[in-house]
Amino acid sequence: MKRIYIVFLIGLFTFSGCADLDIPPPNVVGDETLFTNESGMKVYMARMYSRMPFEDFKYMAQWGIEYNAWLGSMGIEGTGEALNRDGICSAFTGERTPYWTEAFVLLRDANYLIETLPDYQSNFPEVTYNHYLGEAYFVRATVFYAMARRFGGVPLVTKVIRYPGDADELEVPRSSEEETWNQVLADFDQAISLLQPTSPERGYSNRYIALAFKSEAMLYAASVAKYNETVTGRLTGLGQKTGVRVMGFAAESAAAASRKYFKEAYSAAREVIASGRYSLYKKKWAAGDRDAQYQNMVDMFSDLASPENIYVKEYGYPTFTHGYDAYSAPFIFKAPLASGTCPTLDFMELFDGFDRYSNGTIKVTNGSSNTDGTYLMYDSPMDFFANAEPRLRAYVIFPGDVFKGREIEIRAGVYTGSAPISPLFSNYTYATAETRYQNLAAYTQGSKTLYLSAREGNGQEIVSYEGEDMTAAGANGPFYDNGEGCLTGLYGRKWLNPDPSFEAGEGKSAQPFILMRYAEVLLNAAEAAVELRLAGEASPDGTDLLQVATSAVNEIRERAGATLLAGSVTADDNGRNIVRKERRKELALEHKTKWDLRRWRVQHYEERDGFWGEYREKDAFSNNARYRFRGLYPFFSTQTGKYFFDARFQWVSLKTFEYNIVDYYFAIPGGEVSKSAVIDQQPNR
Amino acid sequence: MKKISYILSIALFSFTSCSLFEIDNKEVPAETIQGEVVDVETGEPVLTDQGSEGIRVRLTEDSWGENVTPNPDFFCMPDGTFQNTKLFKGTYHIRIDGPFIPLMREDERGVPLADESQIVNISGVTKVKFEVQPFLKIEWVDEPEVINGKVRAKVRVTRAVSEEEFRNKIEPMGGYSSSFQNITDIQLFVSYSSSVGYRARDERWSNKIEYTGSAFNSLLGQTITIESTGTIPSGRVVFIRAAARINYDTPKGSGTRRWNYNEPLQLLIP
Repeated sequence: MKRIYIVFLIGLFTFSGCADLDIPPPNVVGDETLFTNESGMKVYMARMYSRMPFEDFKYMAQWGIEYNAWLGSMGIEGTGEALNRDGICSAFTGERTPYWTEAFVLLRDANYLIETLPDYQSNFPEVTYNHYLGEAYFVRATVFYAMARRFGGVPLVTKVIRYPGDADELEVPRSSEEETWNQVLADFDQAISLLQPTSPERGYSNRYIALAFKSEAMLYAASVAKYNETVTGRLTGLGQKTGVRVMGFAAESAAAASRKYFKEAYSAAREVIASGRYSLYKKKWAAGDRDAQYQNMVDMFSDLASPENIYVKEYGYPTFTHGYDAYSAPFIFKAPLASGTCPTLDFMELFDGFDRYSNGTIKVTNGSSNTDGTYLMYDSPMDFFANAEPRLRAYVIFPGDVFKGREIEIRAGVYTGSAPISPLFSNYTYATAETRYQNLAAYTQGSKTLYLSAREGNGQEIVSYEGEDMTAAGANGPFYDNGEGCLTGLYGRKWLNPDPSFEAGEGKSAQPFILMRYAEVLLNAAEAAVELRLAGEASPDGTDLLQVATSAVNEIRERAGATLLAGSVTADDNGRNIVRKERRKELALEHKTKWDLRRWRVQHYEERDGFWGEYREKDAFSNNARYRFRGLYPFFSTQTGKYFFDARFQWVSLKTFEYNIVDYYFAIPGGEVSKSAVIDQQPNR
Repeated sequence: MKKISYILSIALFSFTSCSLFEIDNKEVPAETIQGEVVDVETGEPVLTDQGSEGIRVRLTEDSWGENVTPNPDFFCMPDGTFQNTKLFKGTYHIRIDGPFIPLMREDERGVPLADESQIVNISGVTKVKFEVQPFLKIEWVDEPEVINGKVRAKVRVTRAVSEEEFRNKIEPMGGYSSSFQNITDIQLFVSYSSSVGYRARDERWSNKIEYTGSAFNSLLGQTITIESTGTIPSGRVVFIRAAARINYDTPKGSGTRRWNYNEPLQLLIP
C-alpha cells in the first residue's frame, strides 16, 4: 500500500501542468520601481558601482577583476615597487580572469539606463535626471577605458542588444584601437557635460571625478599612440577576420592622435586644478619638520575628509571589508599571513636622502662601489635612513622603525668577524643573484663568522652577544627558508592600518582606497604638458606648459619633503623623465605604476633603460627579457656593536620577471575568438 | 531497505540519456607530421632555439569551415626540424614563423602578396619541407678557447639573404625602414644543457654584444670575438652556441626578433 503511494507520488511529479504563468513575478524589481524615484535609482547605481573595474584592495593584477581581497598586496607585478613570495608576484602579462565577460554585463546596465531613463524623465528634476545619465556615461567610459588599456580595440557595444535577435545585431566585432579611444573620450565628455559638480551621494561620480579619470585615460591613449612607435614592429596590425586595425595606430595617424589625446589629458587635468575644489593634503604638514611631513603623508590615506581625495572607495566593518592588513603587515603582526608587500631597494633609490655611488646606487661601503672598501657602520639601522625623504618613510617601513607602537626589527644576520668588514660577496651582478648569503664560506665553513636563520622560532640561530643570546635574524626575518618573513629588508607602510588597537584578520580591514587623488591630476597635467612641448604643440588654454609642469612637480615635492627642482622642467626627454620619476614615486603602491610602465612602453628589454622613469642602465637589473630586483639587508656586527647594510638581489624567494613586446596587449580570451565569427585575436599572437 | 533501492533505481532511470549506451570510440589522435626548415640557397637546416623565440609552427585544420582556431603552437627543435605525433587525420594549413623572410606576406591593407605556407593532408607519417630565406648565417671560426673558466669564441656573421632581396620582399608589406636590416646583437649562450639556446642559457655565463644603428655592417663577414662572463667551474662540461639577429620582428607586429643560430659545441672546462 505504502509503495503504491510512493509510486503515485513519483507519478504525480512526472505529470506536471502546462498552464501559462503570465502574472509578472512580484519578487522581480522592474523599471517602474527603479526608475521612478531616487531610492530606486540608488539600487541601480549600487549594482553598477559594485561591478566597476576599479583596482583597489580587492584587485590582484595576476588574477584580474575578481573583486577578491585574498592575499592583498600592492605593486608586486614586476614594476619594481615591491615583491611577494608567491606566484602572484609576476610580470603583468595577462590576467587569470580577463576583463571581458564582466565588462559586457556592466555595459549592458549602463546602456539600459541610457535607453530607458528618458521614458521616466518626468520623475526627476532636470539636474538629477542629467546626473543619472551622466553616471551611465561615466560607467561606460570607465569600462571601455579598462578594456582598451588591456586589449587595444574592443567591441564598442553602445546600445542594449536584444536577445534573441539577428546574428548581425548580436555579434559586435572589435573596433580599431583609435575608435575605441575616441569612444572613451566621447563618453567621458558626455559624462562631464551631464554630471553635477558635486556628488549627490557619497560614492557617486561627479563632473570633476569624470574629468580626473578622463585625464588619466587620455594620457594612456596618447602614450600608446606615441610610444608604440618606439617598439620593434610598431605594435600594430589588422584583425584576421575583419581587417580592422584592432591593435595600435596606423603610421600616418599615430602622431596626430597622440597630440590630440595629450591635449585632452592636459585640458581635463587643468580644469580640475582650476576649479580650486581640491588641494594636496597638508593638515599636519609643517615646513622643515620631517616628522610632521612624514606623519602627514601617513594620515592622508585614511582621512576621508582629505581635500586631496577626488574619488574614494569606502569600506565599512563588518559589512563591507577587505583584508590588506591580514596579508601585507610585518611578520610580527601575522594574521594569518604576513609580508605580502616588501618594497625593493631599487624603488627606494628613486627617493632623496641617501649617499650614493657614482652610478646612482645607494652607498653601503666607503669605497667607490659596493664591492669596494668596507661597510659603513651605523649604531642603529634607523641611522641609515636619518635623512630619507619623509614621503619614503610614509610609504615604507624601514628596519628599526616603529609601526603600531612596536619596533619593526629586520635583520638579515649577525656577523662575528673582525671590523672593518669587507663586502660579503665579490660580485653583486644580476647573473650571480642565485648565490645567496647561506652559500658564503663565512656561513658554511667551520670557523663561522656569519649567522643566519632558516626560519623563525626554533629555526633561529643564536649568537651570544655581551652575555646575552641574540637571534641571528630579526623578529621579522628575513628567514632564508621562509618567504613569510621580510623578503627585501623593507616593508610597505602605505595602506596599512596604523592604529595599535586594531586587530588585523581576514575581512577585518575597512580602510578606504583612494582611486583618484589630486596629486595624480597634477602629475597628469605635468606629463601632458611636457609631452605637448616635446611634440611642438601650443598650450591648449594659453598657460605656460613648462611652468605648469614645474609647479606641479614642486608642489608634490614640497609636500613630500623632497628636494625642490633647481630650475624649470625642460622640454626634452630629461624634463619628461623628471615628471615620470615623480609619478613613479608619488603614486607607488596604488595599482597605477604597472599601467604607467605599460603605456610608456619601457618594460621590454630594448627600452628598459627607461623602466625607472629615470635613466638606469638596464643590464644592471636585467638580462634580455628577464629582470630582477634588489633588497637592502641589515646585518649586526658583534665586534663593533653596530649595523651595516648589504645591497643584494632579492635573497629570499627570488623572483625573476619576464616581459616581452607581445605583452603590451593582452590576448583576447581564446574561447571568445573561437566561438565568434567576428572577434579577432591580436594580430601579433 | 528494499524500498530505498527501489526508489533509487527509479530515480536513476529518470536521469538517463541515450548517449549513456554508446561507447566513446573516438580514435586517439595518432597521425604524425615531420618537418624540416632549410635554407633555400644552401639546403642547410635553419638552426633555432626551442621556445617562443624560435621557429614557431602553427597548424590549422580548416576543413571545419570559417573561424577555426589554430592548434596550439609548437616550436622547431634546435636543429631546425619539427615533429608532432599526436594529430588527428585531416588537411592542415601549416605556417612557420622564424628568422627568415615571412612565408605569408600581405600589404598594410591586408591584401595577400605571397603565400609560401603549405596545405598538407596529414595521415600516417607525413613529411614536409620548408625552403626559406634565413636572415643571417652564423659560423664558428676556429675552435673556442677556454681561459680561466671563460669561453672565448670567434664567430662570423654573414647575410644569408641579400639586402636587395630582403628589401624586395619586405618593402611591399608597408612601413619599411632601412633599419630593419641592422644587426642589433650577437649572443653567446652557455649552458650545462645540450639544448643550449636563449631559453636554456645560463645567465651567469652567457654574454652578448649589442650594436646600435648600422654599426655592425662593417663587421659583416669579419671574425668577431665574444667572451663569456663569470667563471665556469672547472671540470664541468658546457655547451655553447652563438646567435645573431636583425632589427626585424616575425611575425610582423609581434615585436619578437628571432635569432639565427650556429650549431652547438661541447666544451670541457679544464
